[in-house]
Amino acid sequence: MSVRTPQERFIVPIGPQHPALKEPGHFEFTVDGEVVTGASVRLGYAHRGIEKATEGRNWIQNLYLLERVCGICSHIHASAYALGVESLAGVTVPPRAQAIRQLVAELERIHSHLLWLGVAAHESGFETLFMYTWRDRERVMDLLEAISGNRVNYSANVLGGVKFDISAEQADAILAGLEFLEERTDHYLEVIRTDALFVRRTSGIGVMTRRQAEVLGAVGPTARASGVPRDIRVEAPYMAYRDFPVVIVMDTAGDLKARVEVRIRELFECYRMIRVMLRDLPPGELSVRMPRRVPAGETVSRVEAPRGELFYFIKGNGTDQPERIKVRTPSICNMDSVIKLAVGHQLADMPMILAGIDPCFSCNDRSLVVRRSQSAAELWSWEALRLHGIEAYR
Amino acid sequence: MSGLQSLTAFLFFPGGLFLLAAGLIYEWVDRKLVAQLQNRIGPRWFQPFADMLKLFAKEEVVPDGSHHGLFVWLPVAGLAGVLAAALYVPMAGFPVSYHFAGDLIVTAYLLSLPTLCIGLAGSNTRDRFSLIGATRTLTQLFSYEVPFLLSLLGPALVAGSWEISQIADYAGGRWLVLTQPIGFVLALIGLMGKLELPPFDAPEAETEVVAGALTEYSGRGLALFHLAKVVALVVGLTLVAAFYLGGVQGILVFILKTILLLGVVAGLQALLARLRIDQTVGLWWRYGVILALLQWLVIIGWEVVTA
Amino acid sequence: MRIGAMLGDVLRSLVRAPVTELYPFERHPAPEHLRGQVVWNPEKCTGCGLCAMDCPALAIELTVVDKAAKKFIFHYHVDRCTFCAQCRVSCRQGCIELSSTIWELAALGRESYALEYGNVADAETLLAGGAVDNPATPAPS
Repeated sequence: MSVRTPQERFIVPIGPQHPALKEPGHFEFTVDGEVVTGASVRLGYAHRGIEKATEGRNWIQNLYLLERVCGICSHIHASAYALGVESLAGVTVPPRAQAIRQLVAELERIHSHLLWLGVAAHESGFETLFMYTWRDRERVMDLLEAISGNRVNYSANVLGGVKFDISAEQADAILAGLEFLEERTDHYLEVIRTDALFVRRTSGIGVMTRRQAEVLGAVGPTARASGVPRDIRVEAPYMAYRDFPVVIVMDTAGDLKARVEVRIRELFECYRMIRVMLRDLPPGELSVRMPRRVPAGETVSRVEAPRGELFYFIKGNGTDQPERIKVRTPSICNMDSVIKLAVGHQLADMPMILAGIDPCFSCNDRSLVVRRSQSAAELWSWEALRLHGIEAYR
Repeated sequence: MSGLQSLTAFLFFPGGLFLLAAGLIYEWVDRKLVAQLQNRIGPRWFQPFADMLKLFAKEEVVPDGSHHGLFVWLPVAGLAGVLAAALYVPMAGFPVSYHFAGDLIVTAYLLSLPTLCIGLAGSNTRDRFSLIGATRTLTQLFSYEVPFLLSLLGPALVAGSWEISQIADYAGGRWLVLTQPIGFVLALIGLMGKLELPPFDAPEAETEVVAGALTEYSGRGLALFHLAKVVALVVGLTLVAAFYLGGVQGILVFILKTILLLGVVAGLQALLARLRIDQTVGLWWRYGVILALLQWLVIIGWEVVTA
Repeated sequence: MRIGAMLGDVLRSLVRAPVTELYPFERHPAPEHLRGQVVWNPEKCTGCGLCAMDCPALAIELTVVDKAAKKFIFHYHVDRCTFCAQCRVSCRQGCIELSSTIWELAALGRESYALEYGNVADAETLLAGGAVDNPATPAPS
């Protein structure tokens, strides 16, 4: 019978295939009994080479390619891209189009937060809350299908505006849907605050102080739950956020319960804003002509996705195809906080802490080449990228 | 009982095939009830049977580094334990097939056999998830077993016997749920702990340890462990109904009372979130044992006073 | 702090019907603006080819039968299409529509996914080898 020596480490792998993860990612937790003593992460399983693929397609085709970086925040990706290209081309989008873009973005935020609430409940074993929140999420998806024509990947944007208008009946349907959703959200807020078992799984778990959040670079509701007032919609308003402003929703506790609460309270802000927008939607055109060849230049486009700050760098060279597009998604900023917070908690809390940042692995897989100071910049061809993807994971 | 009668009882009715079929039907009723409470439709009636058929038809993969004999025979031992336990309880409202003095303790141990087998089976492999799941299964065994046993012994105390058939006769007609409500609650919730139903499903928490101790099992082994669980469900419900709900006289009363208990179990399943393993242990040792001892004090005090 | 904060929901569900739609036995009508299969109307087409150029999935190919007389054949690959409706926006003549009734597109083989829209007479001209100003399309076999 062998005695366990101190050097032996017991590593529990979560991923790349694991029921806790909706998408592949590899987390290694070193445990001692049930207590986690170390953590590390490895990503890259959902890398598809989208940034490279944008270089071979024209500006219009890229709108739809970039929409498919993520399934839940598809519209905001397309909007960030459209805003960047429109500023490169020096085109002013009509106010009604910006307002409709913002309307769809807020409906998407509602969809994303309700989905996340169900997933968080599922990770903690609360199947009933999962079923009910996803049932109510169907309502907002029906609304989006009625106005845009599809339940996900709404394709609301064209370069220069939006594709569709909101009629009076659709506006009434949206208001009725919002009433139903607001009543249910009230109920869910009460459930997560008062259900003894759920509170025991979320309260005091994964506490991140404000200082830690600022140092680790957390964004989105994860940071706002620790008291960091970071929200691009308020700091650098885009679309129609100057006319229809939003209030930052924050919490100071910084634990899992705070993150759940912040997302649910953000839902109320969305409902309020959509109502105001439907009442005061500016009249006008839906889109404006865009040149097929966008003038050369570089631009940066920052928007607030449901998970945090989404950052696009777009470089054009005067042709009808982009030179380089760089996408930095919020999930990769929050990933480090999971690793730092995991130590000291129980293994059973790991899926919850991971779900607390609302990870979107398909969003955050980019390839990075670290440039040493002496060597020249490398540009990889499509073939080279493909070969690297095969060799690196062998 | 004659040899032929014993064989029939063990293989076909009320043990054996009837019990396996009844177990799968009860599993279906449980899933359907939980689905209705979650505002959705559940599986169709043949789903558990189809699952078992499919599993038996699959290839059994024995992982490297595990003891082959243990891996294959532990599921059989687990199922055999509960099938044997069923012979001592008034299954389907019929009188017990076998009885001897003290068979309550033997039945309780036989009902714990699948849990021990699952714990051993999980420790048998090198898989991280199985080891953690096995640890959790055995930890949970040590936490709910004491209150559960004490709650089963409460009716034994008032009946003055340790033989299930005699306790069932005494309890028949006397609704002990009214005089020993704490014992009834502990018995029902202890049964949920034994069967690893939510909120006590930390040992097989899907989102943490994939499938717990059974992660490496597929095919025949998984099917046998699953059958052991559903048979334990039926036997456990029969015991609780026979002791606390005024006995099971006849098959109709049996079905009615056990389905009623299953409804309560399904309701608790739907309502509560999962407890972490340390919270489970804390709950049982802090509240479960104290309540069980309280119930015993009341019973003993009553006996002393009325003697 | 209570045990079972969802008790109200759970009890109400006991007496309500489940929300599941028993598709395909129960079918709710699709919304008016649903983006289903692409439908092409050859009447107004000028052959600009913007629909084919802007399609992100390369699902559209336009074959020229007679450029001067404005006769074209529209090849549509349903299995490549992402139903984004960019073709509808790119077409300045309004030839393209996305059907809101044809959206149940599952099939057992790929044969039904290569659609051709156009006039029958144009197709016959093409097959007889009478295409005019048609460098991109290979000679029909």
